[in-house]
Amino acid sequence: MNEIVYDVFARKDRGDTLVHIGYVDAFDDETAKVYAWKTYDEERWFEMCVVERTAIIPVNRNEGVFANARSAAHG
Amino acid sequence: MADQLDLEALDTADKAALERLIIALADTKRLLGIRYSDWLIGAPSIETGIAASSMCQDEWGHARLLYAMLKQLDKDPGPFERERPASEYASTTALDEEAPDWAAVVALMVLVDGAATAVLTSFAEGSFDQANSRVPKMLAEEEFHTSLGAAWYRRLADADGEARTLLTDATSRILPSLLTWVGTDDEANGRLVALGVIEDAEARLDRFRDGIRDLTALVGIDVDAVEPAGEWDSTRGRTSGHPAEEAVERARGDRNRALFVE
Repeated sequence: MNEIVYDVFARKDRGDTLVHIGYVDAFDDETAKVYAWKTYDEERWFEMCVVERTAIIPVNRNEGVFANARSAAHG
Repeated sequence: MADQLDLEALDTADKAALERLIIALADTKRLLGIRYSDWLIGAPSIETGIAASSMCQDEWGHARLLYAMLKQLDKDPGPFERERPASEYASTTALDEEAPDWAAVVALMVLVDGAATAVLTSFAEGSFDQANSRVPKMLAEEEFHTSLGAAWYRRLADADGEARTLLTDATSRILPSLLTWVGTDDEANGRLVALGVIEDAEARLDRFRDGIRDLTALVGIDVDAVEPAGEWDSTRGRTSGHPAEEAVERARGDRNRALFVE
């Protein structure tokens, strides 16, 4: 099955910085949300978001997982 | 929300009907947890296995909360959780045997969780205060189960060949007895409807069908055309048969009975 990498961001409390806490492989946005919520359930998160890795635009690095994912997807 | 139920005013038959409903829901949650747990290893991906693990724990938590409602009827939940034989379990028939493949697990997520959610929603909006206060949190947790089940159902339905066939077969196999489980107003359920504890059978069925109609249509099954099936057992409030002994041994915790912590 072709799966998509989604990066997971969360904050514990209102006003906290949103931080990258990991990633999940999922086949669409809905499954990504469930997998993220169920996988990273060690905290009572105030907010959690997922974003497709290929949608992340690297700013200062042209190598690494984010740059590699984006170049693989967009050339 | 209906007027609050006065437990002191209930007669013996009313209390028995409420007890039967609570046990049927609790047993269904417990056995559904068992069936999810059968697939913690062997799910199609690590993430899916983790989600199944979490859903399993959710279902067991829900079962615990439901069994605890028996205290309102002056019943000790302990013997119900740990001492009944399989023949007294009131879980829905679809959970009697282990899901043979992942498509069948997905069907359980959508259909059994969907049926339980339909009845629980009705229960939460009824006259029993314990259901008003405890069930909404269960239903909030169920939203993740619904999302996962629906996503997997769509995926397998869109697939060609075996996956779609297995999903279609599982849906056809499970659905008729669930329609009976949700939509039977026998004497006991009729009492609960009259007391405002749950909605009538037609309303419960509407909730259930509305939740699954678009999904089952993907495999060519019109939920409005499927006939309920199964011989109704009014003692337990389910169709005939019972869950496999091995599953009930796990549900009761037979192997670690000495380690129970209250």
